[in-house]
Amino acid sequence: MNLTYNKAYSDLSKLVDQIENDKIQLDTLADKVKQAKELIDFCETKLRTIDKDVKAVLTDKKPTTRKKNRL
Amino acid sequence: MAKRLRLSELVNEIDDAIQNRFAGETFWITAEITDVKKQTDKRWCFLKFIEKEGHLITAEIKGVFWANTFHNVEKFEKLSGQTFASGLEITCNVRVRFHKRYGIDLEVLEIDHTYSLGKLELEKQQTLDRLVKENPKLIRLVDGQYFTSNKSIELPIVLQRIALVTAPNSDGQRDFKQEIENNQYGYAFSVSEFLTQIQGDNSSKLIIQKLKLIEAEKENFDVVAIVRGGGSQTDFKPFDDYDLSKYVASFPLPILTGIGHDRNTSIVDLMARQYKTPTKVATNIVEHNYNFESEIMDFKERFFETAESMIDEAKDNLLQIKRTVKAYSPATILNKGYAIITSNDKIIINPKDIKPNSEIQTILKNELIHSTVTKKSKNEFDI
Repeated sequence: MNLTYNKAYSDLSKLVDQIENDKIQLDTLADKVKQAKELIDFCETKLRTIDKDVKAVLTDKKPTTRKKNRL
Repeated sequence: MAKRLRLSELVNEIDDAIQNRFAGETFWITAEITDVKKQTDKRWCFLKFIEKEGHLITAEIKGVFWANTFHNVEKFEKLSGQTFASGLEITCNVRVRFHKRYGIDLEVLEIDHTYSLGKLELEKQQTLDRLVKENPKLIRLVDGQYFTSNKSIELPIVLQRIALVTAPNSDGQRDFKQEIENNQYGYAFSVSEFLTQIQGDNSSKLIIQKLKLIEAEKENFDVVAIVRGGGSQTDFKPFDDYDLSKYVASFPLPILTGIGHDRNTSIVDLMARQYKTPTKVATNIVEHNYNFESEIMDFKERFFETAESMIDEAKDNLLQIKRTVKAYSPATILNKGYAIITSNDKIIINPKDIKPNSEIQTILKNELIHSTVTKKSKNEFDI
């Protein structure tokens, strides 16, 4: 799945809402904990690393060349 | 043949005539200035005053600020945020001077800043009024605040891919990148630089060109930062340009500006999100991401705290069940002195199942008692 900050944020807020309002059963808790952990890890990691495609833009500073590359 | 004069004699006469007419007198004039040449090291400024009718110059005279009045030029730049340069109209107090070699000029003694700035302010206001009037869908003025299409674009939840518009090798470029690259949280950013001259006559057009390049690949960026820095640079004029301001107001990515200092707000600032300095633009981008991370951390704490308490609660319940089970177990009951009676290997629950002469077994804590029933009667034992 192509996760985004927005999706991670809304999924995480849903999980928090569910757990705080007793909507999570004990038997699915382990699964939900895993989900929450993955979402948090995603945000933490992405905030501190630059995606490869973004890096490509960075190193290729001339706009004209950049256009050529995309064609 | 008429009497020939030495040049110096004639020049002396001119000098005398000018002295007689102008000595000790000063004049207030309002005129356009041109050919401005500043010698900052000597604190001199040479210029020409001109008056035009249409495109035709109808009057022209040299002017000069000497070191003792040069502070007027600096003050003008500080107050107006504009370079003291050709094309400005100023009101100033002058003295007519004549030099035997360099000729006649006007020595400027003082600038009327109120008037000169008022004129600039008026021009700026006219541009703003025109922007609002001609672009009602893009720009609205409500209670003294300018609302633009650009300002209403919501910032992405995290800002990481930045298109930076600035002058090459400028203070602004350096300050911005330093703040971004050395941010205290260790966030990663990609800064794509779109470098252009941002001062001088043609700058607004050059900035528009760079913005067009950014717009062409807008999906690669979260935000645009337009910055310029350095306290001594004062030319804000490109940022009051109608076309540039209009384009900024309509730009499809959020634009953050750091092009002024506290006293000056350009029109471009009003059309976008204004943060005054390059460093402040960078700090705000970093803080924006920090706010996001804080919310995530808050979610994390809340989620795992609740999950832990769920597990603790489940453990407590289990313990409670164990205790209950133990309390009702036969071993516990026998320990307390109760007995279990069996007959034919079955636990007797209903006394009617036992008839006189039946063989029964009484199970006590450590022993089994075998008996034969001799008699049955109603239970009068007081429990």
